[in-house]
Formats: sequence, structure tokens, C-alpha cells
Amino acid sequence: MTSYGMVIDLERCIGCQACSTACMEENNVSLDHIWNRVLTEGGDNIDTPAGKYPEDGGDGTGTMSMEYLPMACQHCDNAPCVKVCPVNATYTREDGIVEIDYDVCIGCRYCIAACPYNARAFNYDKPVHVPAEGTGNVPERPQGVVEKCTFCTHRVEEELDPACVIACPADARIFGDLDDPNSTVSKYVDKYETEQLLEELEADPKTYYVRGQMSPGRQRPTTELEGTRRKKTSIPEGGEQ
Amino acid sequence: MSDETPQRTIRGVGTMGKAWLAILAILFVVGFGAWVYQLMEGLIVTGMNNVFAWALYIMLFVFFVGLSAGGLIISSVPKFFHSDRYDSIAALGVLVSFACIVVAGLLVVPDIGRPERLYEFFTSPDFRSPMVWDFGIVIVYGAFTAGYLWLLTRRDLAAMGSRLAFGVKDTEAGRERDRRISFWFAAAAIPLAVALHSITGWIFALQIGRGDWFSPLVAPMFIMKALVSGLGLVIVTAILADRYTTFELPREQVPELGKVLGVFVAVHIVYLVGAERLPGAWAENFGFWDITTGFLVGETVYFWLWTVVGGVLPLALLVIPSIRKRVWAVFAASVFAIAGILFEGVNLIFVGYTDLYIDAAPGVTTGRGYVAMGSDIWATVGAYTPTVVELLISIGLIALGALIVTLGLWYLPVQSGEVLAPPASDTPDSDATVANGGADSDAD
Repeated sequence: MTSYGMVIDLERCIGCQACSTACMEENNVSLDHIWNRVLTEGGDNIDTPAGKYPEDGGDGTGTMSMEYLPMACQHCDNAPCVKVCPVNATYTREDGIVEIDYDVCIGCRYCIAACPYNARAFNYDKPVHVPAEGTGNVPERPQGVVEKCTFCTHRVEEELDPACVIACPADARIFGDLDDPNSTVSKYVDKYETEQLLEELEADPKTYYVRGQMSPGRQRPTTELEGTRRKKTSIPEGGEQ
Repeated sequence: MSDETPQRTIRGVGTMGKAWLAILAILFVVGFGAWVYQLMEGLIVTGMNNVFAWALYIMLFVFFVGLSAGGLIISSVPKFFHSDRYDSIAALGVLVSFACIVVAGLLVVPDIGRPERLYEFFTSPDFRSPMVWDFGIVIVYGAFTAGYLWLLTRRDLAAMGSRLAFGVKDTEAGRERDRRISFWFAAAAIPLAVALHSITGWIFALQIGRGDWFSPLVAPMFIMKALVSGLGLVIVTAILADRYTTFELPREQVPELGKVLGVFVAVHIVYLVGAERLPGAWAENFGFWDITTGFLVGETVYFWLWTVVGGVLPLALLVIPSIRKRVWAVFAASVFAIAGILFEGVNLIFVGYTDLYIDAAPGVTTGRGYVAMGSDIWATVGAYTPTVVELLISIGLIALGALIVTLGLWYLPVQSGEVLAPPASDTPDSDATVANGGADSDAD
């Protein structure tokens, strides 16, 4: 069995929002939403620290701290959103990815209530794109349905890494098969101190965050999915150049 | 509505009655128009967003599911114990229950983003979803109350020569048989009502994602909420019907109903709310008075509205026998109790949607409000104000409920059918009926 998951190394993340931007462009996300957010754990605003400046130069009283927390769908094993969807529009694929069938979703938003990560977005309005015809390689979602991060299933099916993984200049994102003990994600989860967000809620996310000690990150310079053959281009079949 | 048989429908629909009906019809039509507008524009015309994703429609859905309990309970529990107590309001109660469950079911429709796909509840249901359970039970409960209402009134309908009797004949043997059948209906009504309110509670209580929703106490709380608000609504409706129509509510039943309502309010607000709050207050605080304060003092304005308006005020009016004898006191207590339960439902939604588990800056995208570069589409706490469209749709559906009750009063023999076969306790005459706390009763 395959169980795709992601390791995000918070020690490597530099808060540049490249993953967020790449996601919006690749997935044709309406400008009302952001599937993949990079949060600032610190002050009240983005890119601001919590704490105080030192009182007197280097007297050691400064408490400033700031960390980044990239947030998107955690693709839980025990996904509350899948369990609440009354019409099976949200489901877990064979490969472990939690996906929405936009032709089935009735827009009841029970999944939004169920998700403790607030990873889901509802199209209250018609999607807004610049340029108007949209971007990327995924059709836009209609008004009245819920949407979210798909781990770029359309890319994974073409044996390519998700867009956010490719875009990360700090190699902080590693994507792969958690069921394969030889995959980089499995090895990192094994070796480094990793955390699942809101672990106590027992949704069992397939997104693991490395804290404390920096991992070597994702070191491959290419775009293909780990363990698949080298690709000539990063644009999936049928995608627009 | 022939004149030769004893009248069990209300008589003399006057100008005021017609005006009332016209107002309700207009409100319903306006609400329907607002829904059509919402269908064209999408849920962007509501006040909801990605953080506060369920709002007025769901608050009122929960409220009306609760309201639907009272009539069915007040008519079925005595029947189950072979008592004819409250027979005088049995049919009216079931009529109110039916109207409320219709309103509740319809309130979900405008909350749905793509209502044209609702058939998928039948074609691809996921039986893990509490919403599927609730969808099923609301439909079963609605059909059941309609069937029960017909059972309770069909012999009288036949006696009136109404086509609504659907060929049933008014015979003494038939009435005896219906009495036996209604025992089994009553026996089924109780577990059905328990299931309806528990499942509606579990829609929320099973969710780990929304703070304090996840609590085993929610289902019992929903049952008590339903008993309080449902009985309150039956009392209010019966007193109003007695006041403004020829419907007769036996005067001596008002304090009895008030006493039952008082017990429900006490169990709900004093016991269950207390039982819900004590563990948290005890664990979080150290000193005796800190624990006591944490237990008794709520944080939100809704908490106060719900415990004071819905608990303290009705109890004060219902506890003292001499006050409880007065119709206005029972009426006011019922209104307060209903209002309290409404605030509690509002509070439930706010509890779930105000705080985020992960609220680091800049938060969550709200899914609305993008106009141009630099638009603020972010939120770190949930906030919600209903829009005019939401209010119009909701009022329209509530008006539909009132229409169902009014038309039911006009066309169904909701007045106790015992007139034809008088039991020991005959329905009292109009001078013994509720006369709005002493003033003259001017039925129009």
C-alpha cells in the first residue's frame, strides 16, 4: 500500500511564502482563498515576533521569538472531514490522499466544522482569478462547493512532486510514501523529532513537522516523485505550457 | 366544516384572522423570494465565511428541531400510560410538532451551497456521517407526526365529512380501535423523539474540530432543551389559540403544564448546565471561592441570557403556586424559557466557531472579500452578523410554520374529539377556559 505524506522541516522554513504562491498558481485557487498558508508563530501580525527587546543591549533580557508554520490540509489517516461528509464527496484515496469530488459536494460545510486545522475553504462567491481565465493545471472549482489542498494529486499521478515541494527554496518540504520504510519521509519521521499538529485530537495527520534539529531537507534537484524515473519536464500531461 | 355536527375546528374566522393569514403568507412569499435571490447569487449574500461557516440557518434548525419535541411528548406520554390527561391539547400539540419539524427540515435547504444535489443523500450516503443519521430521522419524524396527527383527528374529520378523512368512517368501534393504535404510536413516539434530539446533538458533539462541541453531555442537553422549548411552545400556542380563537384550553391545565415546564427548566438549567460546568471549574481553579465563581459565572452574554432569561425568570414564575395559577405567568415563563433555549442554540454555534485551534497570524482565509490586491481576506477569530437575506429567509420559513398551525386550527378538529364520546372528564365550558389572566376573552 501507498500512503503519501509530507515532512515539513520548521528549522529549514524561511517564511518566504513561495510554497503558498506556487500552490495558488498551480491549483488555480481563487484569490478569496489560500490553501497553503505560512503562518507566523509569534506576534499579532505576519512576520512579527513575540516578546521584548533586550533592555540594555546584550544584557540577555530579550525574549523575541518568531517561527513559521506552513499550514495546509494535513491529509489525516483518521480524517474527521471524510467521516462527516454525508454524500461521500470527501474521501480518502487508495494512496492515502484526502480528496474532494467537486461534482458531488453539496456544500453543506460540515467538513469545515469537522476540520480542526481550518484547512478547508468554501466558495461563497464565484472564484476570482488574475488573469480571469485562471492559472495552473487544475480546473477552477464552482461556486457552492468546498475545496482544499490535494497534495497535487494531478501531479502525483504524473509521478511529480507537489508544487509546494518543488517551489520551496529552503528544501523544507519532503513528500513521499510513509508506508515505504526506505522513503526519505519515513526515514526523517524515524530519525528526527517530529510532531503532528494537534496530535491529541487523534486525527492522525500524514503531515509531520520537524522541530529542534534541522534535517538535510529535500536534496534532490529534480521535480519527479521520489523513486520514479527522471522526467524531462515538470508540466504534467495535458497541462498548458 | 358542516354546521350540523359539533364543531371541533375553530369557528368564525374574522377579519383579524384573515389579516393574520395574509401577513404570514406575505412573509413566506418574501422569504421565498429572498431564497431565490440567494440561489442566484450564492451564499456570498449571507454573513457566513470560512471561519464562521454555519450560522443563522443552523442555529434556527437546532432551535426548531427542539421545538418539535413538546407537542409530541405532551400528547404521547399520557397516552402511553393510558391517561387522558392533556387530551385537550394532544392534537394541537402534534400539529405544532409537525409544523416545527417541517420548518427545521426546510431551514437546512438555504444553508446548502448546492441544494440541487440534495438527492445525493439517497444515492451516495456515507453512514458514518451524523448528518445522514439526522437527515433520516428528521424525515421519519416528520412523516410520523403527520401520520399521528391524522390518526388523532381522522374520526372527527370523518364526522365532519371532511375529505381529509380519506374514506375513514366515524364509528364507535373505529374510535376504540384508534385509541388502541394511538397507544402504539405513543410508544413509538418516545424513542423517536429521543433519537431525533440526540442525533441532532451528535452532529455537534462528535466533532473534535470545534472546541467545546466535543462533549458527551450534548445529547442529553439537547433532549432537555427540546423538552423545555417544545413544551413552552405548546403552552404559548394553546394559550394564544384559546385567546384568539374558539379553541378551548381547560383553565385548570395551565398551572399543571406550568409545573411540568418548571421541572424541565430545573433539570435543564439548574442540574444539567451545572453538571456540565462543575468539572471544568473545579479542575481549573484552586480556592473554594474561585471554584464557586468559575462554576456560577459565565463568560459570554449569551450564557447570561440563557441562564437568566431561560432559567431564573421562568423558575421564579413557576415555582410559587399562587403565581403559577395565573395564565399570564405561565405564558410569560414559557416565552422566557423558549427565548433562553434560542440563546443557548446561538451560543452553541458561537462556541464552536469563535476560536480557532491554530490562530497564528495571519490566520485563515475567510473565502470572501477579495476585491483587489491588498484586500484583507484573513481572520484569526470567527465573527458573524446575519444579513437581511438570511433574516428574510428565516422569517419566511417561520411564517410557514405559523401558517401550518393556523390552517391546521382552521381545518382540523384539533379541539378535543371527546365531544362525540364524552369521557368522565368533560371539556369545560368557555367560562372555565383560559381568559387571559382575568380579562374578558374575545374570540374573533
